[in-house]
Amino acid sequence: MTSISDGEDVWVPSVCGMCPDGCGILVHRVDGVATKIEGNPKSPLGRGRLCARGLAGIQLLYDPYRLNQPLRRGNPEKGIGVDPRWQPISWHEALQAIVERLNRVRAEDPRRLVFCGTPTSSPFALGVFMPAFGSPNAFVSDRPGASAEQMLARTLHASVRTGPDADFCQYLLLFGADCTSGVVAERMADARVRGMRVVAVEPFLSPAAEKADEWLPIRPGGEGALACAMLNLLLNEYRIFDAEYIRRHTDGPYLVRPDGAYAGDASGKPLVWDEAADGVRRFDEDGADAAIEGTYAVEGEECRPVFELLREAVRRWAPEAADATTIPAETIRRIAREFGEAARIDGTVSIDGRELPLRPAMAVGGPGAYGHDNAWPTALAIALLNQVVGASDVPGGLLGCSPVSLGHPETGLPRWGPAADGDGLVQAELTPENQGWSAFDERFAFGRPEVLIDYGSNLFMSVGGPDRCLEAFKDCFVVSVSLYSDETAEALADVVLPDACYLEGLDPLPNLPQQQPAAGRGDWAYQLRQPAVPPLFQRRHFAEVLLEIGERLGTADAMNVQFNLLYGLRPPQALDPDERYSWEEMADRIYQGWFGPERGLAWFRRNGVLTWPKRLEEAYWRPFGQVRVPLSYEWLSDWQPCRAQQAQIGFDLQAISYSVPWQSASQTCENPWLDEVSQSEPYSYFICLNACTAAAKGIADGDAVWVESTSGRRVRGRARLSDGVHPEVVAIAGNGGHWARGMPVARGQGVFFNALLSLDPEPIPLSIDGDARVRVYKE
Amino acid sequence: MRQGMVIDLKRCIGCFACQVACKAEHGTRPGTMWARVVKREYGSFPNVRRVSLPLLCMHCRKAPCVEVCPTGATRKRPDGIVTIDAEKCVGCRYCMMVCPYGSRHYQDDASTYFPGQGPNPYEALAYAQHSTGVVEKCDFCVERVDRGLQPACVVNCPTRARTFGDLHDRGSEVSRLIDERGAFRLHEELETCPSVFYLPP
Amino acid sequence: MPSADAFRQRLTDLNLAYRPQREWIEGRGLLVVAAHFFSGVGAGAWLFSVALNFDAGLVISLAVVGLAGAAHLAFLGRWQRFWRIALRPHSSWISRGLWGLVILLVGAIPYAVPAVRDSVIGPLVLGVSLAGMAVVLAYHGFVYAVSRAIPFWRLPLLPVLYIAYGLRGGAALLLVAGAVASARGGFNIDLLEVIKLWVVVSSAVLVLLYLVLARGAGGAARRSAGELVAGKVSPAFYGGVVFLGLVVPIVLGAIGATTGVSRGLLAVIGLSSLAGDFYIKYCIVKAGIYSPIVEELPAARRYGTRRAAAGL
Repeated sequence: MTSISDGEDVWVPSVCGMCPDGCGILVHRVDGVATKIEGNPKSPLGRGRLCARGLAGIQLLYDPYRLNQPLRRGNPEKGIGVDPRWQPISWHEALQAIVERLNRVRAEDPRRLVFCGTPTSSPFALGVFMPAFGSPNAFVSDRPGASAEQMLARTLHASVRTGPDADFCQYLLLFGADCTSGVVAERMADARVRGMRVVAVEPFLSPAAEKADEWLPIRPGGEGALACAMLNLLLNEYRIFDAEYIRRHTDGPYLVRPDGAYAGDASGKPLVWDEAADGVRRFDEDGADAAIEGTYAVEGEECRPVFELLREAVRRWAPEAADATTIPAETIRRIAREFGEAARIDGTVSIDGRELPLRPAMAVGGPGAYGHDNAWPTALAIALLNQVVGASDVPGGLLGCSPVSLGHPETGLPRWGPAADGDGLVQAELTPENQGWSAFDERFAFGRPEVLIDYGSNLFMSVGGPDRCLEAFKDCFVVSVSLYSDETAEALADVVLPDACYLEGLDPLPNLPQQQPAAGRGDWAYQLRQPAVPPLFQRRHFAEVLLEIGERLGTADAMNVQFNLLYGLRPPQALDPDERYSWEEMADRIYQGWFGPERGLAWFRRNGVLTWPKRLEEAYWRPFGQVRVPLSYEWLSDWQPCRAQQAQIGFDLQAISYSVPWQSASQTCENPWLDEVSQSEPYSYFICLNACTAAAKGIADGDAVWVESTSGRRVRGRARLSDGVHPEVVAIAGNGGHWARGMPVARGQGVFFNALLSLDPEPIPLSIDGDARVRVYKE
Repeated sequence: MRQGMVIDLKRCIGCFACQVACKAEHGTRPGTMWARVVKREYGSFPNVRRVSLPLLCMHCRKAPCVEVCPTGATRKRPDGIVTIDAEKCVGCRYCMMVCPYGSRHYQDDASTYFPGQGPNPYEALAYAQHSTGVVEKCDFCVERVDRGLQPACVVNCPTRARTFGDLHDRGSEVSRLIDERGAFRLHEELETCPSVFYLPP
Repeated sequence: MPSADAFRQRLTDLNLAYRPQREWIEGRGLLVVAAHFFSGVGAGAWLFSVALNFDAGLVISLAVVGLAGAAHLAFLGRWQRFWRIALRPHSSWISRGLWGLVILLVGAIPYAVPAVRDSVIGPLVLGVSLAGMAVVLAYHGFVYAVSRAIPFWRLPLLPVLYIAYGLRGGAALLLVAGAVASARGGFNIDLLEVIKLWVVVSSAVLVLLYLVLARGAGGAARRSAGELVAGKVSPAFYGGVVFLGLVVPIVLGAIGATTGVSRGLLAVIGLSSLAGDFYIKYCIVKAGIYSPIVEELPAARRYGTRRAAAGL
């Protein structure tokens, strides 16, 4: 609140931790009490404005139900709903117990340590501690389809995330995506005011779809069929595609042999057909235009360019046969034409005196489309819409987030950019801290896990099927590092450590730019998260705890080496493996290493954020580089509707979840200001049903209902009738329904959606099915 | 000078940041939302639109609450902002009966956000600035305005949907938006003459 | 409003298109209805007591007016500052109500003292008390009727209805008091009974008229009327207003008119009628529903040259 004091009165610059976006904040501390959080106007992330969650951080800091000291499980029984009978213990005892177990595991097989964090966790655990320990089993509990999202971003946009170019986009086709909230909110609002048209394809009129000019209700899991049908229309019927772009920036002209491999020269370099020379040449040789259509004889084999094969691959997707979508064929035709024409192929724009291609239309896929077991083909099909019209990493199109960094003007660091592999295609590797984990399999290749560290991910709620979770880990030694005694801690944990929240901890570079969703022009933002107040009670920042554990385990030198690797530190900032450093010292070295000796930790403590303007080639890398991307046509034939679309007797509906901009995952339901928002909004704590569908089942608005999935599990809630729901769909916001005694504000609020999901032991293509086949009935 | 606000429903995304920004600025008790958002659905499947409508005190030029307040605790400043003097309010709640916008709030008991735990350190400071047994409402952040700042909801809106300024100044941003985009007010027919304008979604 | 349920209710209300008012009916809010009931009855009883020279009635009606004051005070959030309510009679009906109450008491208390009543200032204090009575009888109807936010209340007929019920209630109170007092002689019951019947019948007509008009006054008012006749307020309406307040007095009155009146019967009629008077006020206040803040989004205007007219 507004508070003025004669005593201490400071505004501490830091970074929000309520979601991975990491907007810059200023925390007002008066006489030792944090009294308000506001956006930091100096930070390009947020520009002085915060969403509901960021503002509510105060109630997270001072929540009396927070864990304040380490606990040991007093009840030997583990299980859902079991009372753990926590016994308070000292940090010394807690760490001793943990180190003892870890020593044993490390001696036997370090892979038996499993670690699960969240997208907001410090990368120190995944990127430093775990590799030094020797275990590759470090995961981030992310939303279904996150892996597909990242694969896509890496292979097609040279980044780990993509974002819309809000400055120039005029036609936005959203597939289960949200481009209205977060750090892009203001610029997307500008775009809407200047006339950008938004079409939202999703089963529920979610907060993201509210701003759409047109809502296209789709059967969940059918998004890939719509995208493929559109590709078919664009490439084969309307013949709207950016031939130049395909020719120069993709593997479209690469010739493919009948066996599916690129036709290569003696050194293996892919070949293209030179139309003027009427013969092959290497893709990177100069020459006339390379063909992207047709059939050509190469060394006696019939070869065709990748683009030709793509056209053929999508040919089977007639709009009239798009049953998987329930969208009328004429609508599909109209949207495809609108999209193609809006892309304005051959258009250019002049920015800062440079002429760049302008493609002001894009298709954006999000968790709503990716969160099914057909995630990769779906994601690819949607992404190809942008590729074929050239709306990729150019003004107006879909951009990778910060794929190119030329570095700070004074240091030239950090520096990265897309590199081409031998085939001229962008290199895409998954690094440990960027892995997405969207499923777990109880049959780990090395045997069963021995120790599980749950760092804020609350597995029981974040993964589908808590009973499976229990089976998988009940015989493990489980350590929960958490803000609350959550469901996982209560059911499984042997030791619980009280985590410092983001307002109580120091994190250097909390959101590396590749993870920032602010794509396109603007300013770079490198920030520091620092404590607004010292950790209250006995809470400790987990990174510092890991330093201590590493010291005791004897992995400290390996950790120092990993740390240098993770942050690219060289002498004199590089850590000496034999030395020991405090967390602050380590942070200081990162900043100095990247930005110079005058901009170390002290500078960042005072200023909070370092910014400088992005250069044009950092915002739009495609016109400036020679690196190509693969069109990956061969995956499209794999596309099937998701499993939950299969009709089953008695189970006539599909349940989906959607996100709301004032909650992150489920933990924020414990924040009373955010719980209050959910209660004051008509849909998010309810089970939303199409009004006609509900009427046919005799369900009235407000009735208590069960939603039961084919997995046999069911959840309870109250029905909300709406016309903004596809008739075959049940829509449940986020993931509420907490039952932990340690989270009494959240307890019983909302619906536990993930209980409905199935985890099958078959190999899963990058995502579990994030929707479920269900039936709904009155209680 | 007449202080007023313009809320652009094309920009607004119904994120409730304003509701929480107001709460964070003023530290109101549970259930009291000086700024709030309601959602309205129009049409029938599949031609459905949903609009998020941020609400706050309209600071009407002909405010019914000012007319009916028996103690004069509710009054209108020369710049148009309607304020409540918590020292004068007797808690009769007549104003709540006549406000068409539901902008007024009353709390009898000293409730806190963590039932059974008492006020946390933030709440202890925040609630000291509020009385129970009196009516309270949005005051266009007069304390901020008098220091040359803008209201908390305006400064924080993530989409910059809210603008605050002098309606009598034809050159101000609020006037410009109303003139260029066209605006509407709520319950125009009741002739309360609100100071809050909405641009169409 | 205490605790978790009130909190949830408050939040659920936010998104209701048709929000019922709750502050003046739920929990302590019932005291407002009680206060308006007592003040109307007390004022009416004062009038009839004066007109019929019923000494005991003078005292009783003052006691009831005192109850009204106490109920008002008990309802306030900060009753210690109640004197401030007197500060704005130029714009607020509640302010006027307090003045009316004060004027009534200033005149009525001395008048109730036989010595003063018969003295030379008797007519003066009588006049003062009657002026106060008139205000008290009428003011609370106007309190509700000025609300543009609750269409069910915003009918010119409402103050008339309240005045009628105040008179009715006053008469009913005196029926009860008179039935007790007539044992001691000296009170003309029959005249009173005639008055009563007349007022009862006319009240019935007014209630019907009110409802008819309310149904035509827009969505929220129609819903309010619906709550009364067919919704959650209907038990109170049919049981209290119609049955206890109208049917019982009319029927018993008719029986009494033909077969002769006993004291007990008069008392029953009076009590039943009083119950009806309470319930009509209860029903009207409980059925108060705010006009929806927005139904269809209004069309945008530029205001332009009408800026001045729009009060910009």
